[in-house]
Amino acid sequence: MPFDYHRPATLEEAWRLAAADPEARFVAGGTDVMVRIREGKITPRALISLSRISDLARIAIGPTVVIGAGVRVAELERNASIRHALPVLSQAAALLGSTQIRNVATLGGNLCNASPCADLAPPLLVHDARARIATVSGAREIPLATFFVGPRASVLAPGEVLSAVVVDPPAPTARAVFLKQGRVRMDIALASLAVLLETDGQRCTRARVAAGSLGPCPMRLTETEAILTSGTLDDATLARARAAAESEVRPISDVRAGADYRRHLAGALLERAVRSLLNGAER
Amino acid sequence: MRELRYVGTDAPRPDAADKAAGRAPYIHDLSRPGMLFGKIKFSEHASARIKHIDTSRAERLPGVRAVITGENTPELRIGFLRDNFALKKGRVRQFRDEVAAVAAIDPDIAAEAIELIRVEYEPLPAVFTPEEALAEGAPLVHERDADGRPVTTNLLGVQVHHESGDLAAGERASKHIVEGEFSTPLIQQACMGTAGCIAEMDVRGNLTIWAKTQIPFLAQKDFIRALEAMGLSGRNARVIVPTLGGAFGTGLDTHAYEHIAILLAHRTGRPVKVVYDRREEFANLSPRQSARTRVVQGCDAEGRLTFRRVEVLQDNGAYTSWGATYPTVMLIPATSLYKVQNVWFDAKLVYTNNTYAQAMRGYGNPEVTWPIECLLDELAEKVGMDPLELRLLNRNTPGEKTPMGLDITTCGLGECLEFAKKSLDWTNKRGKQKDKRRGLGVASLVHVGGSGRIYRSDGGGVILKLDDFGNVNVSYGGVEMGQGLHSALTLGVAEALGVLPEKVSINPTDTSTCPWDVGTHASRGAFIALNAATRAADKARKKIFALASEIYAAEAKKSLAAFQKKNPSYQPPAYDYAAAARADNLELEAGFLFPKGAPDEPWLKMEIGKVLRALHFRGAQGQMIIEEAFYEPPSTLPDWSKGVGNMSASYAYGVQAFEVEVDTETGNVKILKGVSAHDVGRVLNQQTLRGQVQGGLAQGIGYALYEEVKTHEGRVLNPSFTDYKIPTAHEMAFPVDIFFAETNDPAGPFGAKGVGEPGLVPTAPALANAIYDAIGVRIHDLPITPEKIVMALKNKKKG
Repeated sequence: MPFDYHRPATLEEAWRLAAADPEARFVAGGTDVMVRIREGKITPRALISLSRISDLARIAIGPTVVIGAGVRVAELERNASIRHALPVLSQAAALLGSTQIRNVATLGGNLCNASPCADLAPPLLVHDARARIATVSGAREIPLATFFVGPRASVLAPGEVLSAVVVDPPAPTARAVFLKQGRVRMDIALASLAVLLETDGQRCTRARVAAGSLGPCPMRLTETEAILTSGTLDDATLARARAAAESEVRPISDVRAGADYRRHLAGALLERAVRSLLNGAER
Repeated sequence: MRELRYVGTDAPRPDAADKAAGRAPYIHDLSRPGMLFGKIKFSEHASARIKHIDTSRAERLPGVRAVITGENTPELRIGFLRDNFALKKGRVRQFRDEVAAVAAIDPDIAAEAIELIRVEYEPLPAVFTPEEALAEGAPLVHERDADGRPVTTNLLGVQVHHESGDLAAGERASKHIVEGEFSTPLIQQACMGTAGCIAEMDVRGNLTIWAKTQIPFLAQKDFIRALEAMGLSGRNARVIVPTLGGAFGTGLDTHAYEHIAILLAHRTGRPVKVVYDRREEFANLSPRQSARTRVVQGCDAEGRLTFRRVEVLQDNGAYTSWGATYPTVMLIPATSLYKVQNVWFDAKLVYTNNTYAQAMRGYGNPEVTWPIECLLDELAEKVGMDPLELRLLNRNTPGEKTPMGLDITTCGLGECLEFAKKSLDWTNKRGKQKDKRRGLGVASLVHVGGSGRIYRSDGGGVILKLDDFGNVNVSYGGVEMGQGLHSALTLGVAEALGVLPEKVSINPTDTSTCPWDVGTHASRGAFIALNAATRAADKARKKIFALASEIYAAEAKKSLAAFQKKNPSYQPPAYDYAAAARADNLELEAGFLFPKGAPDEPWLKMEIGKVLRALHFRGAQGQMIIEEAFYEPPSTLPDWSKGVGNMSASYAYGVQAFEVEVDTETGNVKILKGVSAHDVGRVLNQQTLRGQVQGGLAQGIGYALYEEVKTHEGRVLNPSFTDYKIPTAHEMAFPVDIFFAETNDPAGPFGAKGVGEPGLVPTAPALANAIYDAIGVRIHDLPITPEKIVMALKNKKKG
């Protein structure tokens, strides 16, 4: 179906367009929105492209890391500052879609699509990232963990725009890794897991575990985190953490995989991630 | 034979540059003046009565030129058993049934019009598995056959059965017996270019159709029949084949969408194009048949095979394609893969309300090779023998006549097995890397290598037309669909005729200009085309030599005079022109005509174009060189009720082997190295052949590890590449050791056998055997997904 296409240069202009047409929809790279339009799943009367708004495409590394929502996935994969500050995000970016998709898809699009399998969500969740939401009346920041409210649903109200993701710099001892299981390499995750650990000798002082495709939205596995930090991080603790991860996730069975396999993957990927972090293979 | 100049080289394919540059015109690129766009309304039920179709809103949409249904068009029966209709009237039997169609001035309007068509259905009972369909009192998918006779079962009348030797005696002679049931899923051919056609009718009712077909002449027959049903008796259907982006068996039947395009073109008087988008292709184009196969086989104490029993049950879907003849090819591995006497084979096809299936590369062979080769490893384990040695012990050999009556003229299976053994360091590695969860596996194949006779003629013709400039235009009725037929044909014609390959061009396949050919299937393209072409080339050479002998002396003397004018001091050697110019003394090589044994003098060598011009411009004696030959291979149409007959002029053997590493936590299978070794008779083009083998391997790996059309109550659940996964470059990033055994088959052109399909035949069992070697788990149902591996390991642990 035909639709109008707007390409504002500023957020203010975007808001004016959105106010004028309540049925218009924001779009960035379009790699999700266009697919859904073609499949007839959504029929917006107009698209408001955010890709010309240069403010949204900035990366600022200062006291905090601020990544504009319009930053391309390929940029997250290759940008030296991001690779240095948040290597786990680059790692996940490199596993998202194909080269062509990564060249147009954006960070904000991946998050706002709010798919349970969003590859960029788990690595940001383990960094306690905040979502910066811009509205006509000003900006606010909320924890990314509360941004997702269900499959393809976020907290964004009409007219609100995810403008950036903000991350406090990780502690010097923090290490994180992202693991993803697909049917082939270029695939939607059947299950994905990001794990961040801060360790002090044999003890894990801080743990963050976030899962993709293992529940209605990208989610933190807080019980698993608690076990990982409960004492000496030995095989027994890891086994308990693995069991916790398997019971904490809420996977579904669909055409891609069964819930049992996904549940198994939650544990398998957790153990693999933790072991690789403890072996120092990742930073 | 003269020494080969071009055959066996790695010359680039003639179609490669245009394809790489985006200039090759696929059906998607073609347009005709005034062309309309057709679109089909598909059923929303797997089984239902059509109560009413309301097309009024679609008809009123501006830009719509025609809306047709089964009610307002002539009934066009299609399909191998003529159990299908272009447009369904009163009843749908599968989700993809065509209930209406529109033609509009652009594709968007056509799509909108389709949405405006309202169909009222009354759902009817349905069956979705062969078991359900065969159960007592099961609803019938078809109440009557094509002749209107009532039917009482969902079992198809097409049956292939074979019994040879004495099965009971074979069992008694066995020390070890293994058995198992194995399945293969529905597979999408996943052609790069989706299905489509353009149908155009002239005022007199003659049809021209640009069709994505592998069988231009059988399609012509189908379309002429359709014209007759439309009241256009005596009219012609001309089939033109554009550049094809892969076919893999999807072009072995004519389809409802093609007949709908014809009906729309007839209704509107305008050319009509119907092209499937990817979603339509996945949901509405027939996939490869699924199969469930039970195999029992035994061996004596030394590992010699004693008997084999193969029982196949196939879900045919709601209608019947040529794919229903799968069992004819299944017989080949069942009876002739390794030396085995005492064979029992039976195949049953059952109607269900699932999407109807059609052929794909390998044509039943992979479905049966899969269980046979998996169970051979189980047999070897029982004997306590290395599985590769067991295969060597039972390998086929030249001169053998198999239980099916196949005459094995040449056979390189032993060489291929030895190559795999060496390439993978088999003896040192097999069974010895379980600590690393690594394993080795091997499987073999036999397939028709000299075409496969399943029609009353298995022939094909070639016309060679030489022009005044020494160009050779080749007309062949078979189809280049990406496999490299034109590459083989170019080199073979140049070789056989004695001209440069760059002077050879292959005409587009067109039933009006090309000689008859049964179709490009059964790995027969290059085999048939070159057998015909070399015969036509022989005729052309004879004619050229006979005519040239009349003019050679005079022409050579003219050349000498011209040469002497430029080189006044030149003294030619004495030369007997009369003797030299005898027809049986002339030779044509690399585009030059000259007497055999002639001194190396430029004026004695005549460029072929010059010769042809001299023959053309001879006043009343002027002649053109146009020759044809039709080749019918020396094979027999088997008696299918007995499953016996030498259906091919030669047989291709081959072996694939892999080293894999299995991640037991995720279930991922990583291929560390692959071997693909094939008895090809003779390499026609190194580069093209390697491409064939690599492509077959990729497709085989997809079949083995990733691919499956998933359905629920007849509806396709994964109609896109998002959820139908094929291997990409990443999955193929492992070293492949390719080997060609050149057995020089007497029936083959230059000794070559067909090798189009073999590349994917043994892939799945070779991988399954490697996975078993690595982790001791065997999966019986393809694809072998990580999920199945993990679940099997969990079950094994539970014991």
